[in-house]
Amino acid sequence: MTGTVAPPAPGPTTLASDPEAYRAALRAYLGSEASLDRWRNRHHRTTEERITEHAVLMSGLHRGRWNRYGWPADAGGLGGDERHRAILYDELSAAGLPVPEPHLMLETLGPPLVRFAPELAAELLPRYLRGEEWWGQGFSEPEAGSDLAALRCRARRDGEDYVVSGQKLWTSHGATATRLMCLVRTGTAESRHRGLTMLLIDADTPGVSVRPIALASGHNELAEVFFDDARVPARRAVGEEGGGWTVAMYLLQFERAMYAWLSSTIALRRLRELREQVGARSTHDGDAVRFAEVYADIVALRARSAETVRRLASGATVGPEASIDKVLLATAETGLHDLARELLGGDFVLSAETHAAQWRADWWYSRASTIMGGSAEVQRTILADHVLSLPKETSA
Amino acid sequence: MTTTSLDAATLDLLTGSVRELFAALPAGGDLGPALDELGWAEVAAEDPATATTLLFTEQGRSLACTRALDAVLLAELDPVLPPARGTRAVLLPTPADGDEPSRHGSTLTGVLLAPPGTVDEIVVATTHLADGERSVQLDVHPAPVLAPLAHPVQGFDTAGWVTVSGARPSSPHERIPAGTAWTAAAAAAQRALAAEILGTCDAALRIAVRHASDRRQFGRPIAEFQAVRHRLAEGLVALEGARGVLRSAWEVTDDPGGAMWAAALAKLQAGRAQARIMRDVVQVHGAMGVSREGSVHRYVSRAAALDVLLGGRRLLAESMGTAMLLTAGIDPVARL
Repeated sequence: MTGTVAPPAPGPTTLASDPEAYRAALRAYLGSEASLDRWRNRHHRTTEERITEHAVLMSGLHRGRWNRYGWPADAGGLGGDERHRAILYDELSAAGLPVPEPHLMLETLGPPLVRFAPELAAELLPRYLRGEEWWGQGFSEPEAGSDLAALRCRARRDGEDYVVSGQKLWTSHGATATRLMCLVRTGTAESRHRGLTMLLIDADTPGVSVRPIALASGHNELAEVFFDDARVPARRAVGEEGGGWTVAMYLLQFERAMYAWLSSTIALRRLRELREQVGARSTHDGDAVRFAEVYADIVALRARSAETVRRLASGATVGPEASIDKVLLATAETGLHDLARELLGGDFVLSAETHAAQWRADWWYSRASTIMGGSAEVQRTILADHVLSLPKETSA
Repeated sequence: MTTTSLDAATLDLLTGSVRELFAALPAGGDLGPALDELGWAEVAAEDPATATTLLFTEQGRSLACTRALDAVLLAELDPVLPPARGTRAVLLPTPADGDEPSRHGSTLTGVLLAPPGTVDEIVVATTHLADGERSVQLDVHPAPVLAPLAHPVQGFDTAGWVTVSGARPSSPHERIPAGTAWTAAAAAAQRALAAEILGTCDAALRIAVRHASDRRQFGRPIAEFQAVRHRLAEGLVALEGARGVLRSAWEVTDDPGGAMWAAALAKLQAGRAQARIMRDVVQVHGAMGVSREGSVHRYVSRAAALDVLLGGRRLLAESMGTAMLLTAGIDPVARL
């Protein structure tokens, strides 16, 4: 930029109203900023190290205003819609950079907070966007996995507080998260989905204890959380008491659509990296077909979730058909990682190289894509019930 | 979706009209006059993506055999060809050659959508190699010249097609360099074929859903069994995923290289979808699925026949995968 007069950069208002202008400006920045190389081709030894390092990237993106588009001004953003967020993830991945890990849960937890608890969003979301903190999602429990409405973690109203007791399990980012968005039971044990409330609980609240859970890869991707009469201010309710299921269903739209898109951008970057890693070695018959099929499945996920993102951005509600996106996501994720395992051959199992270690860890995580956020079986049942309108399943 | 300029009500109306048109079309009937009556040219000019996808989806659903694909190819080829003397058809590459015209040589092979006698001229594309440069030439033959080489298809699904095979005619004819017209024509035809394949899939899946809901075993509709429900849900996912890729392919038609790649990918994904959906549709129908008593076998064999035209799924996967592993970049195709 020295010696030439650069045209005036488009201002925030232009970028907020014009996603393509935002894309062009972002692409120019990512292509020219040398300091970003620190995050390219990096393998981290632990989940904790990775998320901390990604938070540094996030804070840099915040200083450049890039990750504030797509979020409302009241919550620390600069306006715009879901397309801005989707473009951020796409351009980061296309530039060979990671999508900062905290964004994964932000994409799921941010929208319901903005919609159902704007005051909390105004107070807390700016810190999240700055990379200063990240949160976990407390839905699953030992006796409530796919059958979410069976959850038992209780919150009892006591004056200006809820008193929470029980347990949450498989909380993503749980080991390092500073807050947890938890779906808890405020109604009777039999109330199923009607007696639930969403609470945003600080992880350092007395009575809350977190135990990291190592995945089979050895990485602490998840955690279990115990609540022993933890007092949570009533103003931390996200939405109405008893309205937790509504909040959860709203949240799941983003988990099934935005998260699917975000994952497709990462999958395409990883496919490119895989090609570079195996490019030199001779391939076997059938490798080309397998590679093309995995690529085609990733593009199918992109195509489908791009349309869903546009619908969300236009204010439409995404219904049960979002389960199609979720199944396509799981197909692309498992396919990509099985392909890496096949193409890397013995190295996948035996090599001490960092790229092999990364694929091994990711392979285990990819197995969760058919489990988390509603198992593959639950998604197929949703499609059979609500999209194909088949007669309801009966037990034998 | 975003490229659609027709509103939903107009689209519903058009879909209904086209569906009726195919239902009323006699075997071997000419689609042209009926489409003219509908004012199809105007619709196609306003929104080619929606119009083409709609027409070929309905053709797939109805299992009709028409020369609509010739029209798609000729829309790209006619501008570089001399004025037609009467009606024209295009010789499609033989399935083993995928979307690439066969090499110039003493023999000629290919597939026609209808017997040579139904048109006046036949356009034959041929690949020429000279000094390491590949080029496609277009030969325009009078149709009667190819008649002795034509044989009705005896295959899985006859579809009214004929195969052409034999000594290349030496009679005088016009030869024109195709430039980029052939690749554009092949891409357009692949998008149309993808839509037609997905039309057969959509119809077959609907039939399977109805059958599973009606057919009772063990005292209940078989659609109440999870194994059956999940198969059908998987079929829906395969169908919608392939439809998404096809819509994306229509969004990149302005860039010739990208358009070619995306069209081939749409055809590949449609081919994979039909393989998966037809397998499950047959299974859900039980013995009825493999007999001529039911209608399912017609969708299975039509989808298989459409799959092998201009690049079967295996061939496309092989060539696209090789291109990505060896040289080409990895095109994201679908954009926000």
